[in-house]
Amino acid sequence: MGIELNRRRFLSVTASVAGLAATGGLLSACGGGAQQKTGANSDALKSALPNYVPSSAIKADIPSVAGGPDILTDPGFLTYPSNPVTTVSGIPGKGGKYTTVTPLWGTIPSADNSFYQAMNEALGVTLEMKPADGNNYATIIPTMTAAKRLPDWIQLPSWWNANFNVGELAGSQLADLTPFLSGDKIKKYPNLAAIPTGAWQAGAWGDKIYGIPSFSSGFVFAGAVSFRHDLLEAKGITADQVKSADDLMNLGKELTDAKGGVWAFDDLWTYMFPAWGVPQKWKVDNGKLVHKYDMPELLEALEWHYNVATAGYLHPDAMAGNNADGNVRFYAGKTVIVGHGAGGWNASDHQSGTAANPNYRRAYFDFFTADGKGEPRIEIGASSRILSYLNSNLKPEQIEELLAVADYLAAPYGSAEYTLINFGVEGVHHTMVNGVPTATEEGKKNVQPQTFPFLASPASVISNPGSDVVTKDYTAWQAANVKHLKKPVFWNMNISLPRSMATADAAQAVEDAIKDCYHGKKKVSEVKDAITTWKSSGGGDKMVQWMDENVLQKFGTGQ
Amino acid sequence: MSSVDTEPPARKNKLSLRVRLRRDRSLLLMTVPAVALLLVFNYVPLFGLLTAFQDYNPLVGVWNSEWVGLAQFEALFGDSLFWGSLTNTLYLSFVQLILFFPIPIALALLLNSVLSERLRNLIQSIAYLPHFFSWVLAITIFQQMFGGAGLLNQFLRSNDISTWDIMTNPDTFVLLITSQAIWKEAGWSIIVFLAALAAINTDLYESSAVDGAGRWRRLWHITLPGMAGVIMLMLVLRLGNALTVGFEQFLIQRQAVGHEAADVLDTFAFYYGIATNNYSYGAAAGLFKSVISLLLIWGANKLAHAFGEDGLYRK
Amino acid sequence: MTETLTIERTRDERDVTGRTAVRKRRRGKRPVWEEPPTAAGQTAKGLTLGVVVAVVLVPLWIIVVTSLSTQAAVNRAGGLVIWPTDVTFEAYRVMLGDPTVRNALLVSLGITVVGTVVSLVVSVLCAYGLSRSGSVAHRFILVLLILTMFLSGGLIPTFLVVTELGGYGQYWALILPGAVSVFNILVLRAFYSDTSADLIEAARIDGAGDWRILWSIVLPTSRAVTAVVALFYGVGYWNSFFNVMLYMPTDSEKWPLQYVLLTYVNRGNGLPGSVNSGFGSQFAQTAPLSLQMAVVVLTIVPLLLVYPFMQKHFRVGVLTGAVKG
Repeated sequence: MGIELNRRRFLSVTASVAGLAATGGLLSACGGGAQQKTGANSDALKSALPNYVPSSAIKADIPSVAGGPDILTDPGFLTYPSNPVTTVSGIPGKGGKYTTVTPLWGTIPSADNSFYQAMNEALGVTLEMKPADGNNYATIIPTMTAAKRLPDWIQLPSWWNANFNVGELAGSQLADLTPFLSGDKIKKYPNLAAIPTGAWQAGAWGDKIYGIPSFSSGFVFAGAVSFRHDLLEAKGITADQVKSADDLMNLGKELTDAKGGVWAFDDLWTYMFPAWGVPQKWKVDNGKLVHKYDMPELLEALEWHYNVATAGYLHPDAMAGNNADGNVRFYAGKTVIVGHGAGGWNASDHQSGTAANPNYRRAYFDFFTADGKGEPRIEIGASSRILSYLNSNLKPEQIEELLAVADYLAAPYGSAEYTLINFGVEGVHHTMVNGVPTATEEGKKNVQPQTFPFLASPASVISNPGSDVVTKDYTAWQAANVKHLKKPVFWNMNISLPRSMATADAAQAVEDAIKDCYHGKKKVSEVKDAITTWKSSGGGDKMVQWMDENVLQKFGTGQ
Repeated sequence: MSSVDTEPPARKNKLSLRVRLRRDRSLLLMTVPAVALLLVFNYVPLFGLLTAFQDYNPLVGVWNSEWVGLAQFEALFGDSLFWGSLTNTLYLSFVQLILFFPIPIALALLLNSVLSERLRNLIQSIAYLPHFFSWVLAITIFQQMFGGAGLLNQFLRSNDISTWDIMTNPDTFVLLITSQAIWKEAGWSIIVFLAALAAINTDLYESSAVDGAGRWRRLWHITLPGMAGVIMLMLVLRLGNALTVGFEQFLIQRQAVGHEAADVLDTFAFYYGIATNNYSYGAAAGLFKSVISLLLIWGANKLAHAFGEDGLYRK
Repeated sequence: MTETLTIERTRDERDVTGRTAVRKRRRGKRPVWEEPPTAAGQTAKGLTLGVVVAVVLVPLWIIVVTSLSTQAAVNRAGGLVIWPTDVTFEAYRVMLGDPTVRNALLVSLGITVVGTVVSLVVSVLCAYGLSRSGSVAHRFILVLLILTMFLSGGLIPTFLVVTELGGYGQYWALILPGAVSVFNILVLRAFYSDTSADLIEAARIDGAGDWRILWSIVLPTSRAVTAVVALFYGVGYWNSFFNVMLYMPTDSEKWPLQYVLLTYVNRGNGLPGSVNSGFGSQFAQTAPLSLQMAVVVLTIVPLLLVYPFMQKHFRVGVLTGAVKG
């Protein structure tokens, strides 16, 4: 996965939550060869991980709700904190000069612009920022690592771990941060210490810490089934009427009016299949590892989606595979219920929606099971999927300098540092309008959310200045559903799959067949055939066996 | 190899090697830069083909990577994506052969019938202008004309007709690719056929006309046989290159239409070699393509010989 | 061998049978034996050729017109502008004021000029070095050259060799790996071999060495083909973008124009700094259409500048190049 990562899918990762991207399970976020570092669940690692020291610098308007160990909703902020507090005393850097490479989906700011200058001054280092086209990042980085020309500081999103062979780069080209951060040593960097332990584990290879997590969260989910609250309300339908897949199917029939240009559904599959108890990728049954392709529940789920498509409840453009205009259809009310990636429920969604229809209001259904019985089980994703790494050529004092810079970048939401990093200098890049930092022309040109925060950032919060309804709805939904979140098999574990199994793991052919099936183009039996082929000549069975022997039996489930 | 050897009268070769070396040292020296560049950038990388039999790891190099025999090929032949890209390649080749190949021949005949030389040259110069455009430029132009925000849809929208985005539609991608290829290269391909037409002796036409043969009969009995050699040559070239349908054209448009429609053998080798960090796999796909291509060239020549033509090399 | 054979063939045809035939046709008069054209036939012919010309020229026209249009005109048209209403050079002013585009233009010109000189010098020397039949090892070297047309290590091994040599992020990585086109050398060689043996022998008796013969006899008599080969090289360098993607994807200050075109027009990312994006929305706005079209025009103009010059040499040179296709 991930090669064709599009902007929409990317947003689901960065905007506020590091979610599991559409097609990916955890395994696809794994490294290279069998001989390399695997595991990240050993006792040695547990002792290496940094201690968690939550920050009390800034109080949230809507506090987090815990749902279990490591599972926590994101705090909500209704207003941007006035009189921002400073969390870093003095200037972190000592005048070093470093290059950084980060992916950027959008316009690349010009080099050496006023924002970079302001940041460098505040950081006390010269960071030569080199954002690279996010759409080509998957091919750019492998050439760089093969040429052994990594910059001093680089962002390697974990959904590309296999592509970039991070498992092997860790230790050979990427610096081991364990000596600087493990245990209580991290207290030297209070803002880094306030990043939950799980996120550091997501950047661990072997028994050591390598990655610096950005956008970490305790509520990481792929997405959910979303609907137009305003449209359903107008018809007198409430969300709690949908308690099973059958309910949803009936609703689909009721809402679809093909002649009127309205279809009940856009693509649902990616965020809906967990309702049938299908995991993102793995399940352990009687101590044995089972791939989701081997589960009859997968075919049941597909059958339902196939029926939705062939019954004509799915928007024809969605059936044709046009996802790019999915939001446009939703805003225009041409679709009413859509699968929606995590992170996409935010202020810009609200603004676009209300621009099309002033009554626009998005909402999510509470998680439900397909048959309406039992407890829904939603697997959480890795605590961070945006991880930056330091070059192993750096001297220890340089690493310390950059960690101090990272500490500055990880300053909590609403702090003075956060304001500078995300909105630039007041009066130059932003002005405060109704208590909300608002970009000036200069700010619009040069302040990019995908530059410095991609090197390090604090744990995610939910904040949508100017769209309070989103913050309130979203935090309430998270709080109501946090109890359904469960850790999947191999949670936060970085697994290095042998290179030869990468194709079997990606299982592109099966994924393609599944896509055709929920678009009504292929029957479930054809998916079954694709899976059979994948198991034998596609190397699927071998891969499952390898995972069972080398990961499950050695390191356990990580749950 | 034949033509290489048809050379002007040779210098005397009976001299001793030392004398000849002395005599030709300037000549040898002149070839050094080109030969050096080719050795470094063409011959050294040939060793890279070894990686197809390895589980190559760029971090440890060719010599320290694990040898796996034919395992990469086994994996390749079990990979439906590989077969998908092979099918795409052959399908595109076939469609281009049917839709593209006859066009320059027809255009050459048409152009040849234009009497004014200046007009003929003008039309020709315009027709092959796109040949000098890069693929980035050519595709950008197509995008501006036919893309979602392009001229065609602009027109459709302003007339309240539903829009139609051929640039992102995987189902019609083959037609898009072929029309781009025709737009960019058909004008250029005319040249060879025009040359062949110019080489036909006009006396043949004259005597045939005197014998009462009409326009179409002359076309059939004189013009086409006169072009047969070149047509056959181009056909053989096309068949021999059946597995090469272009790289940049697909690379640039892959994101818009998706890998299922846009992956051909060359992009497969690139994406699954570099972008999944599976260099050996990409190398194996590349080697497969090279071997089959050599076989195709050989086979196409056999075919040409069977038709009594020269093909690429003489019998 | 593929191409050489064709070269020989077309040359033969041109020299032996072709010349007379061609000459007869060029007078622009209908031969007496040919029946007069029918009206329908003439119309169909005219229409077809008109379409061929239009298909090339109309898009170029629209792109140029749009690049010269104001934003108001673009808005009015709902996109591309077909007929100029209010002409402005604003887009060009903005474009040339943009450091990225200016840089890219310089880089492209630099790579094209340096690359073409390197390629041409190397190829001319090699072609002449191989053109004197009977010289030592020339057959061996020829075979060495020709084999590269069929055997290739492929993209990744070449990439690894270049980076081993320290080429990552270096301009030479965009030039040297593809500097030698064996096909072009064979084209040149075929012509150089044709140079009158008597002339060369006479010069040799006068004491001229091979360098002088190449410079003062062979090159002057084969200007056309040399120019055309230079053109092929130049166009190749001007148009290349894939190498940039391999060797310097993050060094935006080293990008040539084609890569800028790909990034900012084809992918619609907007020019660095010149366009709004900012923290208000995650979605960058694309550059104004007229600006995008101005970038397109900028990549075409140099080609159009050398085009007339090229036409001059075409009668001889292009035949040989056409096969290269």
